[in-house]
Amino acid sequence: MMTLIVPIAANKDEYAHKLPQPFRLDEEGVMYCVRAITGLPLNEIDDIYFVILRDHDERFMLKDQLTMQFRRQKLTKAHVTILDKPTNSQVETVARAIEVNGITGMVFIKDADCYFTADEVLPQNGVAIYALENLPIVDPQHKSYVAVDDMFYVTNIIEKRVVSHFFSAGGYCFEDAQEFCSYYEKLKNHKSLYLSHVIYSMLLDKKIFRPILIDDYQDWSVTNMHY
Amino acid sequence: MKLDIQGHSGCDIVIVHEDNDLFIHKSTHDPGYVPRLVNQANKQIVASKIEYQNIRVPKVFDVEKSDSSATIKMEYIYSRNYIEHFEQAGFEQIKYLIGAIKYFIDLEINNSQMQTVPSRILTDKMADVARKVEKNDHLKDDAEAQELVRLSSEVMNSVGDMVMPVGMCHGDLTFSNILFNGNNYYLIDFLDSFIESPLLDIVKIRQDTAYLWSTLMYNKPFDKVRLSIISEKIDTAIDEYFTGKYQWYREYYMPLQLMNFLRILQYGHDDKVIAYLKRVISSQIAFINNSKTA
Repeated sequence: MMTLIVPIAANKDEYAHKLPQPFRLDEEGVMYCVRAITGLPLNEIDDIYFVILRDHDERFMLKDQLTMQFRRQKLTKAHVTILDKPTNSQVETVARAIEVNGITGMVFIKDADCYFTADEVLPQNGVAIYALENLPIVDPQHKSYVAVDDMFYVTNIIEKRVVSHFFSAGGYCFEDAQEFCSYYEKLKNHKSLYLSHVIYSMLLDKKIFRPILIDDYQDWSVTNMHY
Repeated sequence: MKLDIQGHSGCDIVIVHEDNDLFIHKSTHDPGYVPRLVNQANKQIVASKIEYQNIRVPKVFDVEKSDSSATIKMEYIYSRNYIEHFEQAGFEQIKYLIGAIKYFIDLEINNSQMQTVPSRILTDKMADVARKVEKNDHLKDDAEAQELVRLSSEVMNSVGDMVMPVGMCHGDLTFSNILFNGNNYYLIDFLDSFIESPLLDIVKIRQDTAYLWSTLMYNKPFDKVRLSIISEKIDTAIDEYFTGKYQWYREYYMPLQLMNFLRILQYGHDDKVIAYLKRVISSQIAFINNSKTA
């Protein structure tokens, strides 16, 4: 059983009067946050949760819009989770979604500001990686980087420090939702907590992560924000 | 060619390029510091002759000493500081570091003798701390600091004679005194310790892993969450390892860590640092007293 979570619950001053970028439409009229998951092997996924803020929903009617998008994209397993308050980090958004929806088993977290294709997602801890040299334009300061050894085991992941030519492409797989939440509980008092910190903490505890190989990466982000 | 760099011991540190090699010249022109620097050099010379696997000690090539100054010429190590190292270290490198620390301390323990350290060593040191706090302009009118000194004196008076390994000790084994070169760790700035025990080295390393002390002195931006995660991992590993092995560690670590922070407090002059030290010392006293009642 695998659950896909798309966290889009960040709050920023500019969103007071502006639709957050992931909810805008691309040239085919598909919301970017919905487009963000269409390259994944959705037949392997049991449930999909888009996690949004109540404030954004009330101002931009996002639940209704997302529901229409799901119908149009035939995403029959997609749901909207509305959080009453903004979270402090993407990690908290995911933990709240797991808690609110009673999610168990494997979770795949997909950033809403980028797109990639992946043929399969194996039932193991993993990080989607992409090589910097495959990008025509690079924005290195807004990425986290992933080091892998010759046998393709993840050995390091770090924010904004180029320790590898692979960067984290915005897809993260955790074998066990409850284990993810236990790491969130351990780290939740830190400011500026990222998913890379959770993964690094798990690596230090001898949890194994493998890279998820992807293609056709597209980066839509313009700023370093969490969803 | 000479390149001046900033040290944190109060000594002048100069990188000298001679005969296609780089050397460190560490010197003092403070007559009062001369014996300390010479002792440091002698301790480093002894330590550099022992094999420690991944832990190494820069070679000392020359010690020049007069009544008013001293200079040590030693090997230059191409290295990074611990925060730079931790910022980029994969999980396996942290594992190697934990192994190296355990190995080094165990080697110190094996080269030491179990001895009884008389209770007066601790109580005399505590009295010295109390005098220095009383004379410190930033602390003498600080009621909270005075109360912490009083409570600490009670703790130190209750410890009694301590049986622990004595003989070998770096003396100031904080992360800021370790140079990181890949998976090789070079120890610098050896110091005399008031008890020459490996336990004091565990105390100093945990000053950083449990209390993140050296980060307070670091001025550049760094990933605080990552550093905290790594420090906690190292701290837990060290604490569990020595707790499982040695009664003397279980019994005397915390009083000696309290003494360690009191000895930092006695020279405190920065309000933020003093506030931090008082919080730590207060929590340590509470921990020790709670352990007694439990």
